[in-house]
Amino acid sequence: MGINLPVPFIQALQVLTVALAAPGISGVIARVEARLQGRVGPKVLQPYFDIVKSFGKESLAPEGAGPMFLLAPVLSFACYLTVPMLIPVLTSYALPLGYMGDILGGGFVLALASFVAASAALESGGVYAQLGSSRAKTFGAITEPVVLLVFFTVALVTTTDLPYVLGATVRSGPDQIVRPAHLLASAALFLVILFETGRIPVETHTGTIEFGMIEEARPFEHSGPYFALLKWGSSAKQLVLYVIFINVFIAPWGLASTPGLGAVLLAILALIGKAIGVGVVVAIIDDSFAKLRLFKITEFVAAAFLLSVIAVFTLYLGGG
Amino acid sequence: MTIQLALADNAPTVFDGTANTVAVAVLLIEFMMLRTALLRAQVRLYAFQSFVVSVLAAVVAFHRDVPELYVLAVVSFAFKALLVPAVVLRMLRNSKAEIAGSGALGVASEVMVSIVVAAFGFFTVGALDIHSDVLPVVSLSLAFAVVLIAFVLMIVRRDVVSQAVGFFSLENGVSLASLVVAAGLPLILEVAFLFDLLVAVVVFGVLMRVHHERTRSLSTESLDRLRG
Repeated sequence: MGINLPVPFIQALQVLTVALAAPGISGVIARVEARLQGRVGPKVLQPYFDIVKSFGKESLAPEGAGPMFLLAPVLSFACYLTVPMLIPVLTSYALPLGYMGDILGGGFVLALASFVAASAALESGGVYAQLGSSRAKTFGAITEPVVLLVFFTVALVTTTDLPYVLGATVRSGPDQIVRPAHLLASAALFLVILFETGRIPVETHTGTIEFGMIEEARPFEHSGPYFALLKWGSSAKQLVLYVIFINVFIAPWGLASTPGLGAVLLAILALIGKAIGVGVVVAIIDDSFAKLRLFKITEFVAAAFLLSVIAVFTLYLGGG
Repeated sequence: MTIQLALADNAPTVFDGTANTVAVAVLLIEFMMLRTALLRAQVRLYAFQSFVVSVLAAVVAFHRDVPELYVLAVVSFAFKALLVPAVVLRMLRNSKAEIAGSGALGVASEVMVSIVVAAFGFFTVGALDIHSDVLPVVSLSLAFAVVLIAFVLMIVRRDVVSQAVGFFSLENGVSLASLVVAAGLPLILEVAFLFDLLVAVVVFGVLMRVHHERTRSLSTESLDRLRG
C-alpha cells in the first residue's frame, strides 16, 4: 500500500483498463446469455481471440471508398478511449485531465465517434452498412433529447455538469439516492445504454438477421485490422457507458480515493466486478424480452423520455 | 483538486425522497396503463397501482405516527388491489369478447400528449403554493398528474373496460392527493370514498354487461351511430 503511483500513470491506467477489459466484458455477457439459454456458449476470452485474428488478416476497401473509410475505425477508437480520461473510472478524485471536458463534452466525443463510423459506412456503398448507419442516426436523433434531459437532471442536482461531482453527491448519503430525480434519471440512462449498445429490446447483439440490424450492420464492409478496431471500439464504448452508469449514477463506491498502488489495483478489480454485474443484468434482459419491431423502437425511446422528463419535473417542483 | 458538494442541502430527506419515489411509481404505472394493449394486463396494473398507494399510506402511517392510516392501507388494499380487480377480471372472462382494446392514437403520441397534460398538472399545482405537513407537496402535483392522465386514458381508449379502469385509477390519484393534503381526515370519510368506488364498480359492471349484450363487443365505437 505504501507505493504511490504518479498521477499521469493512473490517468493512463484508466484508459488502459477500459481498453483491455472491454472485450472481456462482452465475452462475459455472451457467455452468461448462452448459459441462460442452456447453451455452453463461447469462451469468455473469445472476443480477444477474434480481435487478434482479425488483426492478422488482410483488409480490403470497396472500390470508390474515400479516405474516411480507412480513417474512421482509428478515429472512432480514439474517441472511445478519450472519454475514460473525463469520467471517474478508477479514482473518486478528479485526475488532471478530468476537468478537460464535462459530461456534455464526453457526450460530444461519443457522438463524434458514432458520426465518423456512420459516414464511413456511407462511403462504403454497401446496402446493409448504409441501412445500419441511417437507422442509427434516425433513432440517435430521438434518443438525444433523453440524454440531454438526463444531463439537465445531473446539472440541477449538482449545479455543475461534472461527472465526478455527481458521483460524490451520490456517495454523500442515502437521501441523495432515494430521491426520485436520481432514480428516474438512472433508469432513463439505463434504457439509453441498452439502445446505444444494441441490446435486446432494440436489436439482437450477435444475430445475423440483417433486417433488424442497426449498430451491428455498420462495420459490414470493413475487414482485417479495421474491422478489429471497429469491434474493439464498440466493446470499449459499451464499457465506457457502463462505467458512466456505475461510477457516476448507481454505485460510485469502491473507487480509489488515494493514489496508492493497492487502492488503484482494488479499484480495477471492483470496476470489473461491477461492470460484470451490469452485464449479467443486461444478459438477463436479453434473454427475457423479444426484439421490438423497428417502428416500435420509438415507443421504447418514448418510455425513456418519459422517465427523464418526470425527473426534471420533480426537480423543478423542489421535491426531486 | 477537491470536489465540493454544492447542493447537498437542497435534497429532500430520506422519508420525503421515499414518499416521492412511491408517488412517482403511481404515476409511472398510470403511464404503463396507457401503453398496455391487453385489457387483462391493464386490470393487473390497476391492482398493482392500488397496492402501491396502500404502501404509501402505510409508509406515512409509520413515519408520521398516524395509526388510522394503517387501517386505511389494509382496507384499500383489500378493496382496490384484490376485490375490484377480481370482479373486473371475472366480468372480462365471462364476456369472452376481444382481449385487447384499441386506442385512438398511437402509443408514442399518447405518451407525448400525456406528458404535456401531466406537465400542465405539475406546474398548476406547483403554482398554487400549497403546504402540507405530512407529505412533500410534489406528491400532490404527482397525484394531480395521475388524475389528468386517467382522463386522457378514458378519452383515447375506445373500449368499456379501459374506460372503467381509467375511472378506477382516477380514484387512486384522488386517494394519493387526500393522503397529501388530509392524512388526518377522519377514517370514516376515507372509507366512504372506498364505498363510492364500489358503487362505481357495480355501475360499470352493469354498463359493461348491457353494452356487451347489445353490441356483442366491448368497443364503444358502435355507440356513435345514431340509429341502433
